[in-house]
Amino acid sequence: MSTSDEDSRGALRSILPPEAVDRFLDTCNDHGWLLLGLGTVAAVSLPVLGLEAGYFMTVITEMFLFAILALSWDIVGGQTGYPSFGNMAFFGIGAYTTAILTKDFAFAFPVAFVLAGVAAVAIAAVIGAVVLRLRGHYFAIATLGVLLAAQQVSRILDITGGASGKILLQTPSGETFYFLFLAVLVVEMGVVYYLSSTRFGFVLNAIRDDEEKATAMGFNTTYYKTAAWMLAALFTGFAGGAYSLFNTFIDPQTAYNGAWNVELIAMALLGGSGTVAGPVIGAFGLHTIIEIVESYAVGWQLVLLGGAVIVTVIGFPNGVVGTLREYASEMDYYKHGGMAATNDDAEVSSDE
Amino acid sequence: MSKATAGTETAVESDRAVLRTDGVTKRFGGLTAVSDVNVEIHRGEIVGLIGPNGAGKSTLFNCITGTLTPDEGQVYLQGEDVTDWPEHKIARAGLGRMFQETRVFGDMTVRKNLLLAAQEGGADVGNLLRRPDDSLLARTDELLDYVDLAGLADTRAGRMSFGQQKLLEFAMELMSEPEILLMDEPAGGINPSMLENLIDYIRNANEDEETTIFLIEHNMDFVMEIADRIYVLAHGERIAEGTPEEIQNDQTVLDAYLGRE
Amino acid sequence: MAATQFVVNGLLVGALFAAVAVGFALIWGVVDIINLAHGEMVMLGGYTSYWVLSLVTGNAEGSPVLFLATIPVAIAVLFVVGYALQRTLVSRVIGTDIFLTLLVTFGASIAIQQLAIQAWSANPRSIQVRFADPSMTLGGIVVPKMKLIAFVGAIVLTALLYVFLQKTRTGRAIRAVSQNPEAAALVGIDVEHTRAVTFGVSSAIAGGVGSFIAVILNIQPQMGLIYTLKSFVIVVFGGVGSIPGALIGGLLLGSIEELVAGFISSQWTLAVTFSLLIVLLVVKPKGLFGQGVEQ
Repeated sequence: MSTSDEDSRGALRSILPPEAVDRFLDTCNDHGWLLLGLGTVAAVSLPVLGLEAGYFMTVITEMFLFAILALSWDIVGGQTGYPSFGNMAFFGIGAYTTAILTKDFAFAFPVAFVLAGVAAVAIAAVIGAVVLRLRGHYFAIATLGVLLAAQQVSRILDITGGASGKILLQTPSGETFYFLFLAVLVVEMGVVYYLSSTRFGFVLNAIRDDEEKATAMGFNTTYYKTAAWMLAALFTGFAGGAYSLFNTFIDPQTAYNGAWNVELIAMALLGGSGTVAGPVIGAFGLHTIIEIVESYAVGWQLVLLGGAVIVTVIGFPNGVVGTLREYASEMDYYKHGGMAATNDDAEVSSDE
Repeated sequence: MSKATAGTETAVESDRAVLRTDGVTKRFGGLTAVSDVNVEIHRGEIVGLIGPNGAGKSTLFNCITGTLTPDEGQVYLQGEDVTDWPEHKIARAGLGRMFQETRVFGDMTVRKNLLLAAQEGGADVGNLLRRPDDSLLARTDELLDYVDLAGLADTRAGRMSFGQQKLLEFAMELMSEPEILLMDEPAGGINPSMLENLIDYIRNANEDEETTIFLIEHNMDFVMEIADRIYVLAHGERIAEGTPEEIQNDQTVLDAYLGRE
Repeated sequence: MAATQFVVNGLLVGALFAAVAVGFALIWGVVDIINLAHGEMVMLGGYTSYWVLSLVTGNAEGSPVLFLATIPVAIAVLFVVGYALQRTLVSRVIGTDIFLTLLVTFGASIAIQQLAIQAWSANPRSIQVRFADPSMTLGGIVVPKMKLIAFVGAIVLTALLYVFLQKTRTGRAIRAVSQNPEAAALVGIDVEHTRAVTFGVSSAIAGGVGSFIAVILNIQPQMGLIYTLKSFVIVVFGGVGSIPGALIGGLLLGSIEELVAGFISSQWTLAVTFSLLIVLLVVKPKGLFGQGVEQ
């Protein structure tokens, strides 16, 4: 809300009144289940209407994948205020679980897929107990350390195929993955949307805003943080579990990809972290851009990603949804007799 | 749950203290911030805690709430020894706390702040995973009306003025219905007309909701007006205790303030 | 005997880690950010030396003196890079969320990595320095001469930084800003410029170390993150803002890594380092030597 862009805001207000945006956002929020249903129907009908396995289906499947990852990151990073640089560790654990179980132990894919989620959650419980005691710089670096340590271990072990990785030839069809990733995404969106209106969700937000105060109010924040962390690991593990077979290949670099970790943070921020739709919108948007750039400028996508992250952080830290929401609630406060929060408002009285 | 226990034990506990400290001592390195302090707060009282800056008032509060663990001495909440309990467990047992700098959850709406504060169902998982029911929502509306914040229910708490946040924090404490409420300088930084309101709110909470209140305060007029009893700390030691009149005429108290302030 | 040899190897390499970490700690202390692109400064320093040497000799080989002559170039280039990084990017997010500062430097790190791949390919490279007699033996311990030169070089760079901070006007300004930016501004210190100089100086040292690493180990565009994390381990161990702490931490980390490599396998050194990081963070998040720093 800086004053420098007051003029452009004036023009914007007449075209797109904040009240309308406010009403629109409220409607979306109230009818979240309906919107989620409609989105699901639309996504399901694409293959029915003739989208065939191939380039476009792969791209859309990848969009679902990144949306799952970004939304999972946001459960801990955006909702609970513990921004992790190591979420991809759970992705890698899931990916290697299915790869090893289906290839070396002849497990059926569905069983291996479920176990991938279980393995990620189990390891998350152990790691969470350690790293969630840290805050700020220390938490961020510790999670990054976890990611790189996991990557290093997978490089050394025989069962993971070492640095050269594992090639997986017996995989389900592209269409299966389309529906699988879609299903995981829809379930995850449903879970996050539901939780955001329960007191469990409120506690997570409270930890983000002021953990000490939440403790003083009687919440054992460690439980809630760990639960959120494990929930995020579950969906990330599922995504990884499906990815290794979808990709037909897994190695330490792809399974524990630090650049992807930054990418999914950028997606969550770009769309609007701390919301349900934000990370998903961000994932769809940024992945589209990256996909286009990738086809024109092979080898430059990480430069673009780094640039996108920097631009997002400097220019747009609230994301699309956050910015809209801020804009929409601009008038709200004054309408109801509120006054601007100033630093020295000892003179503000409540009886007006 | 604390409500239910309190109900059955009221008869036994009526003459016992809601909060009692027994020789609480806290040292930081070589400095003794709180030295052998005894306080006792009875049900339905409003008790003030005053003293010059650095007297150890906030440290005593932190020892009571479990933010710090005392080096010596015990803290009893409704007769139970809570000295070594973690902070969240003490809070859950019925101890509410308002911070000096006013702390609300800035990125959450006013209503969510209140819903969070409700202690009904406590930390029970099933309850936390359910949406707040209508009676709880009705209670939030009622409280917002009471503190003149109706209409701001869906505003982000961080957008409100300092005074409004203070009122919200107070409403959150009412929502949680604590056995005893510790307030750190409730009158700090608010204007005179609002102070009048705040005095009314605190009195009402004390009389209607039977909330026991223990407050740190620097505003002498305020504390003398509202408190039933007052404890005075200086250099970590309890130097006086009594009614506001007694404290105002106590020579040691005057010395402590004039000599050191 | 083997253990002694490993420890000596570790101390020789550890001094380089320490010199990188000192700059990382300085930025942390003065600008109050964790620079996740710090390791990239090491990488860029290495490539600068490599490139200059290739221009002069036609290939990346040369006499010790010729190689040492490339180091001032690496230092100068990296000072400019560091200064510009602070001025153009980091200064825009200072004072916002810690997480955003991490993300900006991580974004810079990724972009620099890929630019380096575009410029020099992903293949590891190293500088060959010609010695008539590459190693010497002292009391049964083999000491490669180049590693000894690198060790001395790293110590000299760290000592120069120490003197710079203690004796020069700019150094005093840097220390003033690290203690209290507002007060420093009040007495007329240009805080933004001072922070940028801090970034420049820290990056310059990292760049100088990178030149040595190009000789005794090798350089590769994606090597940076490892050095950033090693610096973090060292700083957490030694305490933020403590140069002696960082020096001891660096020497210790080098020794531990060489012992692991010698007795177990070189594959496990990184895994051990990261485990050490996490254990340290949990057990002693404020460092063993420096004064505490609030998160």
